[in-house]
Amino acid sequence: MSTSYLVLTWALLGVLAGALALAARLKPAAWTRRGWLWLLALGLGASLLGGLLGFWLLGRLFSTAASLWTAVLVLCLPRLAGTLRARGASRQ
Amino acid sequence: MDNIEGNVTADTPPATPPTRPVVIAQTPARRGRGRQAGMWLARGALALCFLASFYLSVFPSGRATVRAFSILPGLLAAAQPAWEAPVTEPIIHTQRTLTSPTGTVYLDIYTPSTSVPPVPGAREGILLIPGVGDQRKDAQLINFSRTLAGSGLVVMDLTTQTLIDNRLGVSDKEAVVQAFEVLQHWPGVGTNRVGLLGFSAGGPLMCFAAADTRIRDQVAFVTLFGGYFDAMTLLQTIGRRALTENGQTQPWHPVPYPLQVLADTIAPLLPGNDGQTLASAFAPNGSESLDAAKIAQLAPSSAAAYHLLAGDEPTQVNANLAALSPEVRALLLSLSPSRVVDQIRAPIYLLHDRSDQFVPVSESLEFAADLARLHHSYDFAEFGIFQHVEVRANSGFSQLVGDGQSLLRLASEVMQAGS
Repeated sequence: MSTSYLVLTWALLGVLAGALALAARLKPAAWTRRGWLWLLALGLGASLLGGLLGFWLLGRLFSTAASLWTAVLVLCLPRLAGTLRARGASRQ
Repeated sequence: MDNIEGNVTADTPPATPPTRPVVIAQTPARRGRGRQAGMWLARGALALCFLASFYLSVFPSGRATVRAFSILPGLLAAAQPAWEAPVTEPIIHTQRTLTSPTGTVYLDIYTPSTSVPPVPGAREGILLIPGVGDQRKDAQLINFSRTLAGSGLVVMDLTTQTLIDNRLGVSDKEAVVQAFEVLQHWPGVGTNRVGLLGFSAGGPLMCFAAADTRIRDQVAFVTLFGGYFDAMTLLQTIGRRALTENGQTQPWHPVPYPLQVLADTIAPLLPGNDGQTLASAFAPNGSESLDAAKIAQLAPSSAAAYHLLAGDEPTQVNANLAALSPEVRALLLSLSPSRVVDQIRAPIYLLHDRSDQFVPVSESLEFAADLARLHHSYDFAEFGIFQHVEVRANSGFSQLVGDGQSLLRLASEVMQAGS
């Protein structure tokens, strides 16, 4: 039961991080069709994955912190990839 | 959203009734600046979340801080709060006995039931002596041990027959060394991540073990909570019924229990029946005072010990200390951490209730002063939220916050070994 609460906390943190990423305009311009939903889902998925990895690698106590930084890191990736791709295209 | 705002301002008639709210039109430039600010605020919040959570889960000092935070509510509330259950490890409690040269050693081990996380690869172990008397069923001790184990540590509570009999014996050091080695080889515990924690009279025993050449280079830390530094100065303070703190002398009245422990410890070294007389005078149902006829029957050295414990000759304390038999003086010296402090290698953390009536706070102050003189790594904190070594029930909020900070600092330092 307590593990379910933990997973729920990771999920909540992931969605919150996704919402913050939306506010921070980290949604790539190419994601036009329900892009906001994809960003929230990305936050949720990354957070759950990070939490699971944190649980296994660092222990139960640190899994929530691990889920949060993983979510933030993954949420920045699409925007970063878009920026790099745009730079590459402009050089060519 | 933009359109709606625009329409509202555009539709507002020039002659607006004074009661109607006036909507101020935002220029596109101002709206743009607001959005930019919001974006940067969100980016800042994300960066902060990333840095904080990365530090708290990856860096050893961050993990130690998380552990300290996780144990704090359990320590201050004297019971682990239910909301912490999802983040704390499930615990297994086992009991074991060891046979040491001084008799049976009783161990209560609290260990997380989950496997050891690959990072950092080994758990921290804490060997704990809860003091004299049989504390194994004490609710606060069980809560304390479970709280520490819940944060991922292996906690081993130790007691011996001598301690259960309310006596102090320097030979119990052997039991501590033995238990330390058992804990070092406990599944999942790192051999260089084991520390010693002594409550009250358990503190000196931890010091003797930490100075032992067999383990002194492997002890991660020594923490003393409400312990004494020198048995002679302790007896001096008891005899005077006054303690000296920062050069100022103030009245100090001990509760009967430490007097009983000291009487029971000294008693076997007194001549004839003096030991029995002294022990029964300070026993829980004893009178704590002997009449003049009974005192006259005691040997001079026994009478001196009695007067020191009874505190009925506060002006004769030095004379009474000098009148103690050489055996008693040797025993008091052997029971003093002051004689081994320069042989301890591990950092020492001292905690003391500033109005402790079991062991005066002046003992820890003296200990800290000696550590400073020796340039030994140490930290010291005085608290008002404890009553000797137990959580006081009626602490105020401001005191909880103030002492909580000191407790957090010391807990973080102690948790570094396993993080």
